[in-house]
Order: sequence, then C-alpha cells, then structure tokens
Amino acid sequence: MTPTLAGRIQTRILLFIVLGLPITLIYALAVNDFIWFWPRMEVFFRFIATVFLIGLILDPVYIFLQTLRWDRDWPFAYQFFFSIVEFGIALALAANGLIPWLDSFDFDDGPEIWTAIWHFTVVFIPMFLALLGPLSVFFIRWRFKAAQFGKI
Amino acid sequence: MISFPVYFRVRQLGPDGTPTGPARTLKCDDPGTFTVGKSDDADVQLDGAAVSRIHLSLVLAARSVAVRDEESTNGTFVNGNRVAEVALEAGDRITIPGWELEFAPVEAEAQPGTAAPQAPPAIVLSRIVEGAGAPPPGPVSQLAAIFGSAPEIGLETIRASGHPVEEVRFLSVGGGLGSFVWIDHLRCYGIPAGQVATIGTETVPYRTYQRYCKNSQIPDHERLRSNSLSRPDNIWGFPGYAMREVGKRGFFKGIFQVFGEPTLAESYTPRAGDVFESLDVEARRIGWQQMFRQGQARGLRKTTDGRYVVAYQPRGEGAGGDRLRFIVADVVHLSTGYPATRFVDDFQNFVAQHPERRGLVANAYEEHDAMYAAIEQTRDPVYVVVRGRGIVASRVIQRLSEARKKNPNLQILHSIRSRLGPRDGAVYKRAKRLVRNNVEIQPFNWPKSCWGGDLRFEYERASEERRGVILNTLGGTSTAERSDWVEIAERGAEEGWYRVVYGSISELDPIEGQADRVRILIRTPEGHNEELFAHFLIDCTGLIADIRRSPFLADLLDTYNLPRNHAWSKQGEKRGPTGLKVSNDFEIEGLRNNRGRVYAAGTITTGGPYLAVDSFLGLQYSALRSVDHLVTERLHAVPDLTPFRSLGGWLKWMGGSTP
Ligand SMILES: Cc1cc2nc3c(=O)[nH]c(=O)nc-3n(C[C@H](O)[C@H](O)[C@H](O)COP(=O)(O)OP(=O)(O)OC[C@H]3O[C@@H](n4cnc5c(N)ncnc54)[C@H](O)[C@@H]3O)c2cc1C
Repeated sequence: MTPTLAGRIQTRILLFIVLGLPITLIYALAVNDFIWFWPRMEVFFRFIATVFLIGLILDPVYIFLQTLRWDRDWPFAYQFFFSIVEFGIALALAANGLIPWLDSFDFDDGPEIWTAIWHFTVVFIPMFLALLGPLSVFFIRWRFKAAQFGKI
Repeated sequence: MISFPVYFRVRQLGPDGTPTGPARTLKCDDPGTFTVGKSDDADVQLDGAAVSRIHLSLVLAARSVAVRDEESTNGTFVNGNRVAEVALEAGDRITIPGWELEFAPVEAEAQPGTAAPQAPPAIVLSRIVEGAGAPPPGPVSQLAAIFGSAPEIGLETIRASGHPVEEVRFLSVGGGLGSFVWIDHLRCYGIPAGQVATIGTETVPYRTYQRYCKNSQIPDHERLRSNSLSRPDNIWGFPGYAMREVGKRGFFKGIFQVFGEPTLAESYTPRAGDVFESLDVEARRIGWQQMFRQGQARGLRKTTDGRYVVAYQPRGEGAGGDRLRFIVADVVHLSTGYPATRFVDDFQNFVAQHPERRGLVANAYEEHDAMYAAIEQTRDPVYVVVRGRGIVASRVIQRLSEARKKNPNLQILHSIRSRLGPRDGAVYKRAKRLVRNNVEIQPFNWPKSCWGGDLRFEYERASEERRGVILNTLGGTSTAERSDWVEIAERGAEEGWYRVVYGSISELDPIEGQADRVRILIRTPEGHNEELFAHFLIDCTGLIADIRRSPFLADLLDTYNLPRNHAWSKQGEKRGPTGLKVSNDFEIEGLRNNRGRVYAAGTITTGGPYLAVDSFLGLQYSALRSVDHLVTERLHAVPDLTPFRSLGGWLKWMGGSTP
C-alpha cells in the first residue's frame, strides 16, 4: 500500500463505519446472548472508538516512517503489526484509567480482557483482509489515489 | 538526409540462425520502394519455403530508410523483434526466415583476412518510377494521394477512394498490452464489443511483449518484475496473481510471501506463463477476436465531422485483395509500444562499421540465443562481457551460469561503469536506495509510490523541468533482490568464473586476423585502461524508444506538429525529445477534434504526467484516466463505473461471464 495521510484517514473512517461498527454491534449482541441491553453493549463501542482514535493519532507517524522508505510504501506486514500496536496502546491506557470514557476495571485483567481481545480480533481481521484487495472491487481508483476515494 | 547509394549486406542464415556462406551486397542507387520476396516479380529475389512471395519492402526516401513487412506469413524482424514498419538505423539487422539483410549506409571496405577470394559483385537496384510500365502504386502512395496535405479530411473523400470503410465508436491502434488494457476497461465500464475495434500486427495481444521477454531471457516459466496486483487481465487487480498461485505452491508459503514482502520475504512476482494464460481467458471473455483487425496502421487524420480516420493495411487471414482499409472512430487510443530497439551510440557505431562482426555483439533485447548455443557447443574457453547492471544483466548472467553447466570454461566479465558502495544509492528527500553487490536494489523499476502513492501526485503536479529531474533521480538502473542472483555472483567470484570490471567502455574494435573476437577497452575510474578480448559482448544497458522510428507516429507528429516531452539531466538541463506530450488524462490535446478525442499509453508517452507508463499497472492507470475522462466530459455515452456497478462487473469477471 502507498497511502498518503488523507488516504489513511479516509480509508480508516470508511472501514470503521462499514466494518468496525456493524461487527461491534454483532459482537456486543453475541456477548449479551443476543439480548438488546445498551448499558452492557456500550463499552464495546467506546472501546472500538478508542482504538480508532489512537490509529488516527498515529497516522502522521506512519506517514513519517513511509518517507524514510525508498519505495515510500507501507507493507502489509507493517499494517498488520501496527494495528496490533494500536490495540495494545488502547488496552494499556484503558487499564491504567487514562481513558476517561473507559472504565479501567473492564480492561484490567481476568476474563474481560479476553472479551476485548476477541472483539479486536473479529474487527481487525476483516478490515485487514479488505485492504488486501476487496476494497478495490468497489473503488477501482482507490489504489491509484493513495487510498483516497473519488475520481482521480 | 540519406546519401545515396545505400547498401544492404545480404546473408543466408543456417538453421541455427548463424550466417552461412559469403555476404552479397545490395546497392540501391536512388530513392524508391524495393520489394523483397521469392516471387519473380520481387525486385530482390530470396528463396526459401518460409519466405513469402512479396515478403517485405525497403522504402528508401530522401530523409529516411525504412523496412515494411508486406503481410508476410512468417514475419519481418529488425534486431530480433517483429515489426510492421520501422525506420532503419545503420547496423540494423532485418531478418526473415533463412536470410539477413543488414543496413549499411556506407559501403564496407573489402575485409582483409576473410577467406572469400573474390567478393561477388553487388546486385544493383535502381528504379525510376514514372511513365508507362511503372508498377501500380503501393498502399503508402495510394494513401498519400487520398489523404492529401489537408489536416482534416471529409468522409466523402475516403468513401470515394473505393476502399472499405468501417465505423466504430472506439478504436485502439497497436493491439498489444496497452490496447488490451484500455479495451478491457471500456468493456468493463459497459461498452459493447460491437462499438470497439483494435488494429494490431499480432493476433495475440501479448505476442510482442512475450518476444521481448524471451529475448531478454525471461522464458514463460520465469518470473517477471511485476506486482501480484498488477493484472492486465483484471481492472480491479483482485484477486492478485499470488492468490492464484497459493493453491499450487503450498498455502502457507504463498500467504507468507505476499504478506511478508518486501520486509520478511522476497517480493512476489508472477510467472510470465501465468500472465499469458490469464490474458487468454480475459480475451475470450471480452470478445477480443470480434474487435481485432489484423494489420498495420498507416496513418491517422481528423475528419471534417469531428471524428478520426485511421488507414490500415490488412494482413493475415482474410486480408483479401484490399490493399487499404479505413476505420472511422470518435475516440482513438494509441499504444504502439517500442517502435524498434535502438541501441546506445558506441554499440550502434560498432555494428554500423563492422557488420561482419555483428554476431559477436548483441543487445540483450534482441534475439541472441545463437550466442548461448555457440557457448554450449564447445568446451573451449569462452569470454563473455556483459555490460550494464540492471535487471536484464542479472537475467543474462543467470542464463550464462546455466550455460556453464555445458561449458565449464566459460568466463563472465561483468562491465560496470563505477563501483557502487553500500552508501552510494540514489537519494530522494529522506530516503536512500539500497545497494547490494554494486547494484541498486528496487523491487520494481520505479519506487512503489510512483504508481499510486505520494510520488504520483508530486510528479504529476511538478513543472516540466522538475518532472525531468524527478524522473532522473528515481529511475535509473536497478535490479530486484533475488537470492539466486546474489548466489551466482558470489559463487562465481569465489570460483573465479565471474569477475566485475569497473569503468566505461571507451573502445570497441574488431581484432585483425581474428574473426571470432572483439577488443574492448575499458577506462577504469582510476584512469587505467583494461583491455579485454571477448568472444561475445552482451549489452544490457537498455532499450531506447525512439518514437520517430515508427512511420505511423512520425507522420502524425509532422502532420499535426505535435509537441513532445524531453529528457532532463539531474541538474535540470534540457536533453533530447522523448515521448508524445499528453495531458494528465493521457489525451493528445493537439489532436482534439470537436467531440473527438485521441489518447495514448505506454512507452510512447515517456516523460509525461506519469512515471511508470511502461508497466502493466501503468497501462491500467492510463486506461482508467482516459476512460474516466470520457465519463467526466460526458462524451460518447461512456457510463460511470460506480461502486455497485464495479462490484457487478467484478462478479461477472469472477464468474467468467461476458461483461
Ligand atoms: C523485456 C520487457 C519486460 C517487461 N516486463 C514487465 C513486467 O514484468 N511488468 C510490467 O508491468 N511491465 C513490464 N514491461 C513493460 C510493459 O508492460 C510492456 O512493454 C508492455 O507490453 C507495453 O505495452 P504496449 O501496449 O505499450 O506495447 P506492446 O505490448 O508492445 O504492443 C504494441 C503493439 O503495437 C503494434 N504496432 C506498432 N505499430 C503499429 C502500427 N502502425 N499498426 C498496427 N500495430 C502496430 C506492435 O507490433 C505491438 O504488437 C516489460 C517490457 C519489456 C520490454
């Protein structure tokens, strides 16, 4: 991939909306035995939004790293690795009570942490796979437009 | 200007492609068109089962000398590449089955030391085309008479000429990969096959490309230098070639390579044969045969009704008796590829001055299999100099290392202009290109972001001069990192059969009394001279696309006074002309005609708005730009490819049903 900052942000927002949110909804329902009870589902949305925000904050850093590479690209392995880093940062900040809208207790330890890890995994894998090509099926200009949408 | 008389040296070729028997000289006293073939009517008669009755014409004019294939069954080749019609340069070798004609403008002096006691007399050709008894005019002069000198031509005039006229909406000239990709886009956007035509010399869209690959030692089973997602048969680039292969080479190895490249694993590249196979499938799906017209485009003119007319000379099956046909189209696309191989100057001079030693030197892009055959037939010491450090040099050295299995006394001398240390790679802003074993390493021929990253934007926005400087900095010679190539160089150096010689070749001469070697003088960076006596020199410094060598493009440039791009030095000095100037949408703006549009793609647009024009993905980019341009300008009812129509088109591709 050879995204620009605008491309990273646009793609991140699109994937968050079309994959992140719906999958989180299904996951939150599944964890609650498919009973709609918002107070117990809310935390999943808050958490995935946190990971999303941390990604946005890190995007300029990634762009800087790209400029150090001769090909000015972002290999899939980097994408994979840094997605996990983003998740790790969100988890660590939350566990230490540094994210005001997340209760540190949920991410401290114990079975809750596995709920978070599974949540991240089911959201992250489809997003990563979408970047490997399927996005181009809908947006043929995306790969030539540094991961931005619209006409070239 | 051409000074007459001009000479061609004619030799008979043995079954292995090497010359047999003495050369004869063909002397042409005056300008004119001379036919060559086995018919009694041919001006020059050459026998052979595979020679056509009228095989080719030599077109000698005051300003240029050209060769033109005359619908021959087995083709006419210049420097190993099949051609329709090209302008010749001194030293060019025209081959047809069993014969070679070498263009030698100056008469070579009689060679001392050659065995032939008495050179056979030259065949003299001169022709005065006038008065009664003159042969009927050929298609080119017929066309000149129809087109006249006006830049626009009325349809009535074309119809009145009596030649068949066909009307379509979209026409691509070339019929190679660039045409294929452009038409594939049109078809996937929803244009029916009936509205599209393409004129090309080869019935198979990848034939010319495949020939270049074979010559430069990429047989079908070898891997190209191309990305998994650059699929000329799939406008979405998904699923990539790697996924196709995952099944074949083991699931985990395949996945790991694509996922891990270029950091954890070597970059994935597809096999040539797999690319061709996938193109065959897509050609059937989009109805290529129905759209394809075999022939040579001879000229393009604007029509008075806001369209274009392209004249072509049909060939192949069903060519019939018509010597000319016309296609009228609203939108024309030009992708005629490399007009012919043109070589670096010292090499060109050598082959022009010493045609009898032509067999000892080759450009890597021309056919030179006879060299490997000769090396493998003997066990005597053979010295081969390979010049250049790009990917083609890597492939040639790989091929030579295979030849060593049959001839262990083969010595490879690798001529490289200067030493390149680990820190000497090209620098662009904060990044530096990797260097390994004296060669700059880059997975593809440009940094990846030139195709669709920040460098694409930056280059497109830049001024002409700045573009030239960027092109110079980012391009240049590089090779891909492949462990087998590194291994060959390291093992060869250790065992003493591979040696790198630094410096530039300053002299290239024949050796008196030794017909089987050339003398190469290399001036080293320290100022010493190193003299090499080599049996073969294989030049891998590149292929120059000189668009004026294509008579079709030269006529277009002259008729409409079209501007060209220029090369620039790293310091920003303007150099010689390169490709046709096109807009960011790949339109040749000088040819705009009311609602009519002409676009171009491929190497003929070098130096324009995009760096990687001569690549699969670059051809897809330019196709996308030009077809989208028609959509935004609301021209000729091209429907937009919106996300859901795109999905629909892709599902059809996956299911193999016609778009
Ligand atoms: C050795 C080599 C290896 C390459 N490897 C790769 C690679 O690995 N990956 C990659 O992405 N790119 C590669 N390229 C670059 C590029 O993708 C190919 O060169 C590609 O074939 C270019 O397409 P084209 O349409 O410009 O030319 P071509 O495919 O050559 O098609 C042009 C056609 O036009 C015909 N023609 C010319 N004049 C006329 C006329 N007057 N009338 C009718 N027909 C005419 C020619 O005969 C030819 O068949 C390679 C190039 C070369 C030379």
